[in-house]
Amino acid sequence: MAEEFQKKWQKEFEIFNNLKKEYHKAVAQKQQLDSQLNENKAVKEELSLLKKDAEVYKLIGPVLVKQDLEEAKQNVAKRLEYISKEIKRTDGNISALENKQEAVTENLNKLKSNLDSLKIAG
Amino acid sequence: MATVSSGPAPGMHQIDLSKLNIHQLAKLKQQLDQELNVFQDSLQTLKMAQGKFVESGESVEKITPATKGKTVLVPLTGSMYVPGTIADTDNVIIDIGTGYYAQKDIEGAKDYFKRKVDFVTEQMEKIQVLGIEKSKVREAICMMMDMKVQAQAQAQKASTS
Repeated sequence: MAEEFQKKWQKEFEIFNNLKKEYHKAVAQKQQLDSQLNENKAVKEELSLLKKDAEVYKLIGPVLVKQDLEEAKQNVAKRLEYISKEIKRTDGNISALENKQEAVTENLNKLKSNLDSLKIAG
Repeated sequence: MATVSSGPAPGMHQIDLSKLNIHQLAKLKQQLDQELNVFQDSLQTLKMAQGKFVESGESVEKITPATKGKTVLVPLTGSMYVPGTIADTDNVIIDIGTGYYAQKDIEGAKDYFKRKVDFVTEQMEKIQVLGIEKSKVREAICMMMDMKVQAQAQAQKASTS
């Protein structure tokens, strides 16, 4: 009986660890997206400050390619939209993982107390 | 068994420190230490960024109409240079992030770097304020821990004598 609980507990613990890993990954991803969002915001602001006839280049590999200012603006706006969406998605992912973690922790605690009471009884 | 703490909320100053036990206090202190380290790292990074912007700003100052036609050595690699002449002293191209480069006149470039330096400085100040606040909380926790330890020692003494 105790062995069975032990096995269950170990399985649950493994799930818990995996969740933790996933959670950290999601948080790291969120941070990266955040910094990308900030950088793109800065670029957007900078582009909006430029004169209409200002020359804008895009770095493609090692070369600077001339770009249309309007096009660049649209491009950055699109990127901002995409990143914001991604951030929302990761936020959802993070809170889902948090909930899962909580549930598994509860399970772990329950199994642990079961194990303890079995040990005392045995 | 590892205790799973939900972690103190961002408004941690609302927690009454005297109600926590030594273990909890230690954990809180550890967390604060970590946060302070992050702040320290961020400050360092910001300082480096600030230095780069200042340096770029100073470089722009050196380009005046008088430098037109002068020869310079252009680095092709870190150790190889080719001679060149400055053809345009009115405009520079600035990296504005995410792979975009914009052409600006000298005044615009100066203004750009000044704005960037100001922005970074502002961020640094914000972090410093936060850091000082956290340091204060950390100090309070350390004091509370000392008090608890002393109280425990005294209680032990009283029970043995």
